[in-house]
Amino acid sequence: MAGAHGPSSDAADDEVTPETASTILPTESPTLVWVGLGAGLLAFEVGALATFLVAILSDTLAAASLPGVGFVEGIEAAARQLPTLLSRETVPNEGYWNGQRWVGTFLGLRPEVAWGIRVALVYLYALAVAGWAVLGYRLYRREYRAADWTPRDDVIDRFRNHGWGLFGLAVVFMFVVMAVFAPALGPTTVDKNMRNSYDNELTYWDAETDSVETILVGEANLASQSRGDGEERVGPMEYDDFGRFHPFGTLPTGRDLFTFIAVGSRISLVIGLLSVGLSVGVATSLALIGAYYKGRVDLGMVLVSDGVMAMPQLLLLIMLTTVLKDTWVAGLYSGAFLLALIFAFTGWTYMWRSLRGPALQVSERQWIDAAKSFGQRPRTIMRQHMLPYITGYLLIYGSMTLGGAIIAIAGLSFLGLGVSPPTPEWGRAVNLGQEYVDTGSWHISLIPGLLITLVVTGFNALGDGIRDAIDPRSDAAGSDADDGAAAGRGGGA
Amino acid sequence: MSDEPLLSVRDLEVVFHTERERIHAVDGVTFEIREGQTVGLVGESGSGKSVTARSILGLVDEPGRIEGGEILYRGEDLTEDNWADHRGDIAIVFQDPTNSLNPVYTIGNQIEEALRIHQDLRGRAATDRAIELLEDVGIPDAPRRVDEYPHQLSGGMAQRAVIAMALACDPDLLVCDEPTTALDVTIQAQILDLLAELQAEQDLAILFITHDMGVIEDATDWVNVIYAGEVVERAPTEALFDHPAHPYTRALLESIPGRTDPDERLPTIEGEVPTPTGPATDCRFAPRCPEAFEDCRSVAPEHVSLDGDRSAACLLHDPARSDGGERQ
Ligand code: SF4
Repeated sequence: MAGAHGPSSDAADDEVTPETASTILPTESPTLVWVGLGAGLLAFEVGALATFLVAILSDTLAAASLPGVGFVEGIEAAARQLPTLLSRETVPNEGYWNGQRWVGTFLGLRPEVAWGIRVALVYLYALAVAGWAVLGYRLYRREYRAADWTPRDDVIDRFRNHGWGLFGLAVVFMFVVMAVFAPALGPTTVDKNMRNSYDNELTYWDAETDSVETILVGEANLASQSRGDGEERVGPMEYDDFGRFHPFGTLPTGRDLFTFIAVGSRISLVIGLLSVGLSVGVATSLALIGAYYKGRVDLGMVLVSDGVMAMPQLLLLIMLTTVLKDTWVAGLYSGAFLLALIFAFTGWTYMWRSLRGPALQVSERQWIDAAKSFGQRPRTIMRQHMLPYITGYLLIYGSMTLGGAIIAIAGLSFLGLGVSPPTPEWGRAVNLGQEYVDTGSWHISLIPGLLITLVVTGFNALGDGIRDAIDPRSDAAGSDADDGAAAGRGGGA
Repeated sequence: MSDEPLLSVRDLEVVFHTERERIHAVDGVTFEIREGQTVGLVGESGSGKSVTARSILGLVDEPGRIEGGEILYRGEDLTEDNWADHRGDIAIVFQDPTNSLNPVYTIGNQIEEALRIHQDLRGRAATDRAIELLEDVGIPDAPRRVDEYPHQLSGGMAQRAVIAMALACDPDLLVCDEPTTALDVTIQAQILDLLAELQAEQDLAILFITHDMGVIEDATDWVNVIYAGEVVERAPTEALFDHPAHPYTRALLESIPGRTDPDERLPTIEGEVPTPTGPATDCRFAPRCPEAFEDCRSVAPEHVSLDGDRSAACLLHDPARSDGGERQ
């Protein structure tokens, strides 16, 4: 093979365009350097990654009540010992003023600066990882792929010039980074600030007595509530009386809104990805099977999906969350898993409808007949010869459905359903703040509300961008229909 | 050559069920192919020739269904769901090479896919064999081409690659559905030469499906003329060109000069091929036939044997119907 792709890479060397030039790592073995860079990036987060993976494992074992939980917990403890460079411990923002200077914060800086540095570092790190991935792709394109050009390259180029799509990508990137690094981003933690606020103490500078005092976090929260104007609020970018910095202000309970939102983004993303992943799985298999066998098989699927679509989604959600409340399924991840299942069950039909057309179209291509004629197995034909043609649509509709799912989850939490308190969820923040929107504590509802809008728009924009990149001729009429469907779905739930 | 035909299609009926009606796309087609023979199936678009080809390969999709007749491959009826046993014995080459190759895989990948199934070759051995096959079909610089994607090949080269893919199954019969229609005239001739060569080397039987009488004349030994789902005339190629017996065949032959433009569809015959929705009660060519007479509108013509092995389904040759009963 090496000899075979020799000529094409030679050809690429002859014309060093700015683009290829930028991908050249100044070394003999770019791949090694690339792998080294990856390992270096990984080292920053090795502790967090190990803890995360082990935690998932132990949660699963515990949920299924399998043996070996104790053993895994041991590993979990060990994993926690691994260092994580971008953690709140390395760049702490929680400290107190002792009369002369800040104690306990990063380099003795003011908490807001320390926190800002940590957030900036996290996002820089995420950008570096993204850059590393792009570099890897270019390296592959230049060094390993036999062809100089494939149709997919055009798709990527078109996307790179699609402003709206790039905006969506940026929003989605910010959101995903927030979800992934949630524990490191918040000025405090859910455990300390919300779940076990009465088991944790906090040291602060008491201006009245001119001395350093300690207080339970729970009690400090009670004195930092946002319930109205003036003294009764801690707004965005303000400190409370205990020297704690609140980038987004506090909730009516006195808890930190930013921490709440950061952790809430994680649960939105997990439910969103899980439900979209499941719907994509079901919808893709059905679309491929239906398109391959056509006729009655396809007709049967139309009937089933019509049946599912005829069920009122919101009622079904309310009913199932209520009925299954006390079962073990509802216990998984504060009910998020159950929500994802219900979303997937009701959501695959929309996805399947959108995929059916493209799948039928591909099934008419002659290479499918050619593969059938030489006796390729149906499953292989579907996977190798049909699936690649609908993955683009999967990305488009997956992205749009994800936005819809996030709205739906927020809507349910707003109604007090779905994700159970105290696990943070954006919709609950909107709900908590709705009494105070006309007071000085407007931030409680407004900030999460704006973020939901922004993130959902971002996912839709990303979907639009991918669609235009895949099919530059897709017309406005088609996009209107798609947007209508996505909006209709969000509104429905 | 043995006495038993390699492939024998008898009274094949393929019906497409739509909401309103049953369309008899193939309505009693009968013909045979012997080992190593090249047989043509010629007719306009819509005459049912492509559906016949797809039936032979078992590729008729819903809402179409084979509802009657048999397709005997070495005496075994394929319509009884025996295609799986003979996959690879019959291979097909489609009209549009760019559409027959999956653009996301290299040429080599796709040939190797067939090789894995039919010759149990994989890895290096499969790649080597794929390169050999590409060389066999006259693709220059095969070791490099094997790693190229379909869009990197010209139409003619792509069609050669498709033929190589078909050959990877080591077939006894190659069905070529309009194999040259999408290509330039000069390339057409090259592909026909290639097929003739392969046939001579590998003792391959070939079924040519085309609307182009020129291709039939160049490439086949025996012709079946198909019209509205039925074979209306069958004859050795030379005899057919010398003395066409059926008025439709004559009309087709008159259209040969038009073949320089591959897109042009038989401009000399007015009207279109009818779509049969029920059993024939007349001659389906009657509305377009310059020689039609009264009986043609009330009697469905049967095949009448003529000299040699040939036959034609036209009342002109039915002594009981037409005045003279002579061939022209
Ligand atoms: S049967 Fe009559 S209409 Fe039909 S082809 Fe012969 S002459 Fe023409």
